[in-house]
Parts: sequence; C-alpha cells; structure tokens
Amino acid sequence: MGILDETFRVAWGDLVYMKGNMIEVLLSSLVGPLLYLLAFGFGVGGNMEDPAAYVKYIIPGIIALTTLSATFSTVSMKILVQRLFYMSFDELLLCPIHISAIILGKLVQGVARALISCTILLVVGWLLSPQVVISPWIFVLIIVASMMFSLLGLLAGMLTNKTQTLTLFSSIVIIPMTFLCGTLFDSSTLPDGISFIIYCLPLTHVSNLMRGLMLPEYSIGLDSIVIVAIYVAVLFSICYYMIKNNKC
Amino acid sequence: MDNIVEVRDLVVRFGDFTAVNGISFDVREGEIFGFLGPNGAGKTTSIRTITTIQKYDSGSISIGGHNIRTDYLEARKLIGIAQQNISLDKDLTVRQNLKHHAILHKIPRKDIDRVVEETAHILELDDYMDHKVMNLSGGWKRKASIICAIIHQPKILLLDEPTAGLDTRSRYMLWDLVRMLNARGTTIFLTTHYIEEAEALCNRVAIIDHGKIVTKGTVDELRDSIGRITVDTTSDDGKRRMEYFPDIATAKEFAHTLGDRLYNIRRTTLEDVFLEVTGDKEGA
Ligand SMILES: Nc1ncnc2c1ncn2[C@@H]1O[C@H](COP(=O)(O)OP(=O)(O)OP(=O)(O)O)[C@@H](O)[C@H]1O
Ligand SMILES: [Mg+2]
Repeated sequence: MGILDETFRVAWGDLVYMKGNMIEVLLSSLVGPLLYLLAFGFGVGGNMEDPAAYVKYIIPGIIALTTLSATFSTVSMKILVQRLFYMSFDELLLCPIHISAIILGKLVQGVARALISCTILLVVGWLLSPQVVISPWIFVLIIVASMMFSLLGLLAGMLTNKTQTLTLFSSIVIIPMTFLCGTLFDSSTLPDGISFIIYCLPLTHVSNLMRGLMLPEYSIGLDSIVIVAIYVAVLFSICYYMIKNNKC
Repeated sequence: MDNIVEVRDLVVRFGDFTAVNGISFDVREGEIFGFLGPNGAGKTTSIRTITTIQKYDSGSISIGGHNIRTDYLEARKLIGIAQQNISLDKDLTVRQNLKHHAILHKIPRKDIDRVVEETAHILELDDYMDHKVMNLSGGWKRKASIICAIIHQPKILLLDEPTAGLDTRSRYMLWDLVRMLNARGTTIFLTTHYIEEAEALCNRVAIIDHGKIVTKGTVDELRDSIGRITVDTTSDDGKRRMEYFPDIATAKEFAHTLGDRLYNIRRTTLEDVFLEVTGDKEGA
C-alpha cells in the first residue's frame, strides 16, 4: 500500500492543523448547512402543505451540498496559500513521493472535513426525520463526492494566482451550484436549457445519488454514478498532468 | 575530489526571455560553492532547475551521477534545499514542520522524534520548537528552513540567498551554521548577492550575470585573474577608477604616471573582481 502510506505522509501537516483548529473547522463547515436546513426546511417548508415531507426531501440535498461547501473553498485556498505565499507546495515535489500520493494527500483534509460535518448532519437529519435510511453506502458516497470537489479545489488552487480569482469563481460557479443542483428543490422544473446545464454539473448527481440512498421512494440512477466517476477521473488526470509537467 | 553536481550548457527560458543562458559548472564533493550575482542574474532559476522543480530547455544536469532528466527520483534523494522564499508551512510550529519533513522523507517512524530533537539541538533551535513559524523573526525562520532541508541528511545542501535581508547578527549566526554543516560533511551550494558573504564562506565562486557565468574559481584565482594589486584612483572626469596589476612593482610604476592625482595601492578584493567582470567599473 505504498500510495496510501504516502498519501497520509502528505496529508500529515494539514491534518495536524485541522486537529489543532477543530472548532474553526466545525464552525466553517457546519454553520452554512445548518442554516439552510433551518431556513429552507422550516422557513420555506413551513409554508408548504406537508412540511415534514419537504424536510425529509432536503436532508439528503443538504448533505450532498456539504460535500461541496466543506471542501472546495478550504482546499483551493489552502493550496493557493501553500503555493504562492508559503511556497511549501514545491517542497512536496522534492520528496520521494509519487504524484498520485501528492494529489490524494492534498484531498485528505477536504474528505475529513466533509466526513465530520456530513456525519453530524446525518445525525441531525435522522433526529428530525427518522424515516431516512442510513447505510454504509452513504459514507462511500460522501467520500467519493468530497474527493471530487476537493480535486476541483486542488485544480482551482493550482490554476489561480490571486485569491480574488478564487473568490470570484466561488461566487459565480460554486454558490449557484450549491443551490441549483437539486439540493433544495427539484431542478427538473427549471427551463430546459438551464436544466440541461444543471444536469451536467457534478453536484446534481451527488444529490440524486444521496436521495436514492436515503429515501426509499427515489431510485439510484446509473447515469449519476457514471457522471461522477468521469468527473473524478478527468479532474484527477488534469491535476496529475499539471504536477507532472511543473505547470503549477 | 569527485563532482557532486555537474551542469553543462544549461538553458532555461520563460517564454521569449532567457533567464539562464548556457551555463556550465561543477560542484565538488565537500566544498562550499557559491553563485554570486546581482538581482535577476538567474541564480534562483539555476538552483530551482538543479532541484528538478523548474523545467529547462537544453543542457544537462547530473547530481551524484544521476541525470535529473531520466533519474530524477534518485537525484532528489541527495538534495536538500532552503529556498529564497522560505518554504515552510507558516500555520504550523517549527516542530510540526520538522516532523512533516521527516515524515515526507520517509525517516522511520520510531526515529522521527529523536532525529527532530537531535537536529534541532545541534542547531540550537530547542527554545523555538513550539513557536509558530509565522511568529518567528527572519533569522530564525531562515534557520528553521535550513534545518528542514537537512533533516533527511542530504549529500548536497542548496541555499538560495540564505542571508538576504537579515541583520548582521543573524547573518553571522547563519554563516556559522553553514560552516558547521560543511564541516560535518555536507556539500553546500549557495547563492548570494553579498560579495563579503561569498568571500567569507565559499571555497569556490562563480560570478553570474544576465544568465551567464562570467568567471569562476577560488577567491584567490579570481583575484589573480584580474591582478592581485589594485590602484584605486580617479579619472579625468572625477569618477572612481581602478587599475589592476600582478604585483606591487608594476602597480607602483603605474602610480608614478598619475602625477599629483591621489591614489591608493591595495590588495584586490572580490568586489573589484565582481565590478570588473560585470562591466560596472565605476562602482555601484
Ligand atoms: N516564472 C518566471 N516567469 C518569467 N520570468 C521569470 C520567472 N522567474 C524568473 N524570471 C526572470 O528570470 C530572471 C532571473 O530570475 P532569478 O529569480 O533566477 O534571478 P536571481 O538571480 O535569483 O535574482 P534575485 O537576486 O532577485 O533573487 C529575472 O529577470 C526574472 O524576472
Ligand atoms: Mg533569487
């Protein structure tokens, strides 16, 4: 298990930092999703005919969006800072470590944050709506999805040279994605053109799969599995290429 | 003495701009070798290329006999580098940074704590181990970064401007550190734009300017190459003028031709060499 061992060697520094700053980690990755649950579940849902059904509907959606919100911005910002301000990213390239392990190692903190916050949300969700099904597959999905969004963060952190660019990307791509990708409402009701774009976005499929796993009345789409797999493979390959060719 | 680094006809371009323009040199095992050059000369680019972080366009580089193009993993094991921009994780403490380096370099787990403590102790960093890197002063940050660079006991240590921007006291502290590491058997390749630093530390110096090595050798060889005695005087338009001579007798002969102009006969310094070969005789 050479790669796995090396992955944790790379992740060590980020994990030590996380351990020392647990409160900040929890606040930054949980407050948003919990507010969505409150605002949408009880605020918006409260005015619906069947508020309980809506709360049940958005719980998987909010867990799905947490795999994005808990990972992308932290990972991308951390990479950018380590590359441009701390110059410590270079250092990794000089260690006897495989490129794959560098990539995977840089995803670990994102995955860890997502696992911690999604687990807490699962417990909250289950307390609010005991009908949701909780299975080990949910954790598999959380890991895969948070890896995918951390890869996106890694790529963004390697491509940009200014924190402002990252913030801009966050507000025009990431934030809209958070709301529109079938997390809080059914995106198939949107106009055709828009719903096609939404279909191509990765978070849509994470929410579909999460709903399929947690709510018996939804099914698991094979297309969603394939699309998520393609995203992971493509993002990983681009990161690999960039590091291999000193493009970052 | 064997060569631990061999660089031949190295060219590095950034787009149309050639930052390193066909340099060749060797670093011998056990020595302190210095690159002396002004800002923008191509020192950092050269050093980063040698570490395999920076791509190059042509030429060849070998480290300990390993060609870095084909055998970069082996080559990397021999190298430790403290970059010009200190490359530590500033959110972590010195101890955590050292440990992370040890882990990344696959020092056996059971030895890590011991190696970290020992290295820190030799270099008198003990009191600073639990300080966040962010809060250290420049000299200690630099020292911590050098210690990270040597945790895996590299055969050659690359130091890019180890004392730039430091006060005199911190500079002497780092000079001592460099000498000590060298005395313990580490070959050192450093860059600097301080002439006195090259003079004080280096066995051999290469002067680099505009991406080219203009001259190289021991400090004595470089002095001899332009003339070991300098007559320092002024020219007709009142500017400072230096003439170099192989011995005092010829220098005195020249001085007699100066008439009633003031002059000073002295030993040639590395600074004279630097100004002479970088084509900047009037002085900076
Ligand atoms: N990534 C880059 N892209 C474009 N040009 C670059 C890049 N890095 C360096 N250069 C240019 O290459 C030249 C050599 O730079 P380098 O950093 O190697 O000089 P240096 O000798 O280390 O100078 P200093 O004393 O300022 O550190 C400079 O003119 C610099 O502007
Ligand atoms: Mg430099």
